[in-house]
Amino acid sequence: MKEQLDEIRRRALDELADDASDEQIEAVRVRVLGRSGELTQVMRGMRDVPAAERPAIGQLVNQIKRELEERIEKLKQRLAEAALERSLAEARLDVTLPGARIPRGRIHPVTHIMERMLDIFVSMGFEVAMTRDVEDDFHNFEALNFPPDHPAREMQDTFLVGGGLLLRSHTSNGQIRVMEQRKPPLAVVCPGRCYRRDELSVRASPMFTQIEGFMVDRVGRITMAHLKGVLIEFLRAFFGPETGVRFRSSYFPFTEPSAEVDIHCLLCKGAGCRVCKHSGWTEILGCGMIHPNVLRAVKLDPEEYQGFAFGFGVERPALLRLGVDDMRLFFENDLRFLNQFPSLSGAAA
Amino acid sequence: MKVPLKWLKEFVSVDAPVEEIARRLTVAGLEVENIERVSASFSGVVVARVLEAAKHPNADRLSLCQVDAGPAGRFSVVCGAPNVRSGMTAALARVGAKLGAEPELQAAVIRGVRSEGMLCSERELGLSQDHHGILSLPDDAPLGAPLADYLGLDDVVLDIAILPNRGDALSILGVARDVAALFGVRLRTPRIRPLAVERHQGDGASSSFAVRIAAPEQCPRYAALKMTGVRVAPSPIWMRRRLELCGMRGLNNVVDATNYVMLETGQPLHAFDLDKIAASTIVVRHAGSDREFVTLDNVRRALESTDLVIADPEKPLAIAGVMGGLNSEVGLSTRTILLESAYFEPMTVAKTARRLGLRSEASYRFERGIDRAGQTTALMRVAELLKRHAEARPEGAVADFEPRPAPVREIALDLKRMGALLGVELSAADTKRRLVSLGASVKRAETRGVLSVTPPSWRSDLNEAADLAEEVARLSGLEEIPASLPPRLFAYAEPNREREFFKGTREVMLGAGFTEIDTIAFIAPADNEKFTGIGNGEPLRVQNPLSEELREMRRSLVPGLLAALSFNLNRQATAFHAFEIAKVFARVNSAVSERYHLGALSYGEYALAEIGKPGVKAGFFTMKGVAETYLGALGLAERVRFKAPTGEHQLNFLHPGRSALILLADEPAGYVGELHPREAMERGLEQQCTICEIDLDRLISYGLSPHAAIEAPPRFPAVRRDLALVLEREFPADLIVKTIREMAPSLLESVEVFDVYQGDAVAPGKKSVALALRYRAADRTLTDEEVNRTHAVLMEQARARLGAELRK
Repeated sequence: MKEQLDEIRRRALDELADDASDEQIEAVRVRVLGRSGELTQVMRGMRDVPAAERPAIGQLVNQIKRELEERIEKLKQRLAEAALERSLAEARLDVTLPGARIPRGRIHPVTHIMERMLDIFVSMGFEVAMTRDVEDDFHNFEALNFPPDHPAREMQDTFLVGGGLLLRSHTSNGQIRVMEQRKPPLAVVCPGRCYRRDELSVRASPMFTQIEGFMVDRVGRITMAHLKGVLIEFLRAFFGPETGVRFRSSYFPFTEPSAEVDIHCLLCKGAGCRVCKHSGWTEILGCGMIHPNVLRAVKLDPEEYQGFAFGFGVERPALLRLGVDDMRLFFENDLRFLNQFPSLSGAAA
Repeated sequence: MKVPLKWLKEFVSVDAPVEEIARRLTVAGLEVENIERVSASFSGVVVARVLEAAKHPNADRLSLCQVDAGPAGRFSVVCGAPNVRSGMTAALARVGAKLGAEPELQAAVIRGVRSEGMLCSERELGLSQDHHGILSLPDDAPLGAPLADYLGLDDVVLDIAILPNRGDALSILGVARDVAALFGVRLRTPRIRPLAVERHQGDGASSSFAVRIAAPEQCPRYAALKMTGVRVAPSPIWMRRRLELCGMRGLNNVVDATNYVMLETGQPLHAFDLDKIAASTIVVRHAGSDREFVTLDNVRRALESTDLVIADPEKPLAIAGVMGGLNSEVGLSTRTILLESAYFEPMTVAKTARRLGLRSEASYRFERGIDRAGQTTALMRVAELLKRHAEARPEGAVADFEPRPAPVREIALDLKRMGALLGVELSAADTKRRLVSLGASVKRAETRGVLSVTPPSWRSDLNEAADLAEEVARLSGLEEIPASLPPRLFAYAEPNREREFFKGTREVMLGAGFTEIDTIAFIAPADNEKFTGIGNGEPLRVQNPLSEELREMRRSLVPGLLAALSFNLNRQATAFHAFEIAKVFARVNSAVSERYHLGALSYGEYALAEIGKPGVKAGFFTMKGVAETYLGALGLAERVRFKAPTGEHQLNFLHPGRSALILLADEPAGYVGELHPREAMERGLEQQCTICEIDLDRLISYGLSPHAAIEAPPRFPAVRRDLALVLEREFPADLIVKTIREMAPSLLESVEVFDVYQGDAVAPGKKSVALALRYRAADRTLTDEEVNRTHAVLMEQARARLGAELRK
């Protein structure tokens, strides 16, 4: 009996050589370990074995069974491993091919730049307020101290839509709209679309974007020095910490004193070049202390309150910042232009 | 305003280089836009006297002249000019001279006589187009002096942008005043020999003419002077040269003198031919029943009854402050003139000039406010010039009519208040010095720390303390004002709702593959007609559009998106997925509505598959998916329904079978759909073009759904059972889902459509809709038996309620 078992074991192990195939292994498994395999047959013959030897034979059968099972398991693993290796070698991708995707869209440069500007003001404590595009004469002109027929008014530049209404020619109406609703202290920026009768060209557009900002509090709390401080802070945040800034006396009906703010030409850094007409400076915004008549128009007593206001177009600084010189690029929406802009709103402008 | 530096320096001595003058003027509000260096277009030309002009021995039309050029020597010159005569002073181009682009002047033999130079006409010198004869110079011109020096032709011209409030700076003298104040030097006003002045409170007559002011509100002051013996001729070359440098053209000595004084002092003047004025009487009145008038430029102008005119008892002679008339023009035959120097109210002149589209040098100055007290001085200055250059003599005194004297302006300037405005303290002495340098008179007021300031008559823009603060700050170029940050004393404010909303919208759209575009809000009426948008209301029309194509404000963002699509397809783009967040406009009843919309357009390949596999084309369902993603992100998925458009909500520009209204709480808030094939064909679109438009104001005002109470994930598994129903092909899928939901067996967690089949296996006109139902209990794992029981009941109910068959 023992010899018979040894023979089964030896033969099986011979056949379970290292290079045995899947089929060979399976054949051995069925022949030896199967339901009616050789080992089962041996067990069936146990009744002929003397009782005293039976435990030893049983043990031997189990031992052989375990040994062969382990051997089979090992060979199978090895085969699986080899098969995996083969398939890995075959399933090699060209990883340089593009991925499947929905290409992300791009933010329009004007939005991007405007959002960056608003973020700067918000971080400085300004609120954002949106106001109307279709406006009445009072909010666009009269309350801003443009008397009728005043030369600064130049009605030819304004689009009229009937019924005494017009398309606002600047976002300064925001000052009036907000101050009619709320009392100082106020620090507000009003972004929005403005309209003037200019043909779309390299330098101008009949519709453009402006940001108006203002800060009002009791007399003495908001001074022209603060106006300078806030604007220099903003311009350096936007254009870079080294940006040269110059204030120049000017005139707007709704501010007094009024000033225009220039920054060093971004191209020549103040040395003078063709772009800045050899002045070294680029005009960037208008500002001033809110005119007493404007405060009166919103029923604030100029003896009690004062503040500053400023306003600027977004497209022109955007062009400067991007280093291109054609306003029409913003409104043509040529994908070859737009695709150069970021698709994440946080990315640096 | 063009300011020749040499003229400026007649009134103020500054040694600073011109760039420094320009810089200081610029920061003080007189922006120098350009510095132009001008020079003579010739060289080698000197002042010379014709000692003798004899007939050329061999030619009748030529003269042989002996010419004395002082230290430069004497020359013999052949001259063909008809006006050459002995004793005259002229311009001699010597041998070697350069005249414009001509080659160097050579000595020449003309009809057998040697000529050592050439006497020049103005045209030859590049001074004007005049070639009737040689240039005649004043007899006191120094012989031998280079002509360019003598005429001051080498000069620098500052081109200054004058702000609308600075009418006072529209003159050489006005700019000189600012230069003097900025550099702390004295202003030299022109010395004028005074003439007698007759002052009148109201109407009146001098010895030889009468003035009646019927509109004192518009004309508070009117001064006039009669001059006789006028000889009208060209004005001297230096005067014409200056007019030209300032952008005006010389006409004759009378008109030029009035223009010259206007440029110098800022006071517009007008000369009438007095012989053409009926009854020697001037009436300043409204046009009234006069309907039209021919101005000096020979154009017939329509008058309105409120226009201010200068008239005689019979007819209008001039449109006050704007332009004189042809009927009283000074011409060659004029012998007697009446000079007018008046103050007209800025608004009156502005209104008329604007309506007529007639901007003259005079109206420009009146509009911006001239010196309220400068009338008689300017008149005397012209009289002086005319005496010297037109042989004119004043007759009688200057008649000065002032029915409405200038109001007294006295402004209290609280120094502390000024400091609080500017953010810098300035002493009383410093403040006073600066204001005085601008021509104001300053006294200490009774209250301590307050100055009483009377602004100069030429600064009509200074009316409040803030105006004075600006002047004080301006003179230092705003440089002494420090820059400091205001204390942060503002309470927390909510972020702007719209801005945050747009940011979120943008984020979703970018992620969905859409690029943001920006289009102009003006569109053609035809586009508004076709693309009506979502709301109702009529298109908002622009009364003064730039063109017919830009006549209306858009009602929808779609025309702009389609235009951008075409623009890109014409430039070889094959796919275009874009969105815009912008306002649309409409007139609703009498009010104007402006609302923010989201518009999106999708065309061509949408999702890019891996290479070798088919990609996803943009179509109704990709766009609807974007809309669902967006509305889902806003938390509105449960309140939104997509519905095939019917009846009143039919959108003609969309494919009738491939479009849907987006209903928010059962009211339309937008739509999604394929562009109507007819429209697509007209536009030459080869692939499906899908659009979507949503009223963002509607979403904002509806309010985003607050997040539902947050629950922990379920602890027990769900069990899925499928159900296939066969129904009419038109039966909407969302109604099946809704119906099953409404039956709401307690264990049903969700219902989803996962397949729709139409084909041989179902009857014609029918479709099979496959649904996945998930069952779950919160407190236990469901048994198969329990689920099967519930599902069997539901299947039967669904079949019955929907009138469907169960598909096995």
